[in-house]
Amino acid sequence: MSLTDMSFREKTAWAMMLVLCLTGAFYAWETAGNWIALGKAPSPSLKIAIVYVAFVIVGSAVAEGTLAARSPKEANAPADERERAAIHKAGNLAGWVVSAFAVGGVLHYYWHRDGDLLFQVVAAGLMIGQIAEYALQIRYFRRGV
Amino acid sequence: MAKPPPITNRIRALREEHGALSQADLADAIGVTRQTIIAIELGKYSPSLESAFRISRVFGLGVEDVFGWKGR
Repeated sequence: MSLTDMSFREKTAWAMMLVLCLTGAFYAWETAGNWIALGKAPSPSLKIAIVYVAFVIVGSAVAEGTLAARSPKEANAPADERERAAIHKAGNLAGWVVSAFAVGGVLHYYWHRDGDLLFQVVAAGLMIGQIAEYALQIRYFRRGV
Repeated sequence: MAKPPPITNRIRALREEHGALSQADLADAIGVTRQTIIAIELGKYSPSLESAFRISRVFGLGVEDVFGWKGR
């Protein structure tokens, strides 16, 4: 499928998934470095979190702004019924991914009292959940809801 | 792959009968994206009742003249 065959929302989902994968890789790389150095889950780093959020905001703005500038009519149109169904279903399933990480992290915390690990697991769950949401949107856009 | 809905349609044939109406023109007429028209034509998506009526009205036909149920 070429770019011209994709709807605006599918292009947006691809772009956002790419942005989130790149920024997530940055976060994972920085955190893994600290993890290896400490030999345990590192404490939440405000510096890494701020840089991550800044990358996500700038990356999203550039990606969505570029796509909207290329297709202003589609960008201004609301999602149609099929797109709404795909977005809703993807969001629902992605919520389960986030929940699985959160519950896993909380259970681990219950037994081991490692708040740093709990933070990293929940942070990973949020990032992976967002990536999963866009990946599922693409799947439903392409293969049916 | 999602199980295809058991609804058939004659949209592609009707578009050709109506002066080769494009998928984009039909999409604009009923307020959906061209990709949704493609998905409906390929049987990957069943339109809402409202969209089914809108599509039928574009061709000046009733809903059952455009859409059918597999096996009937």
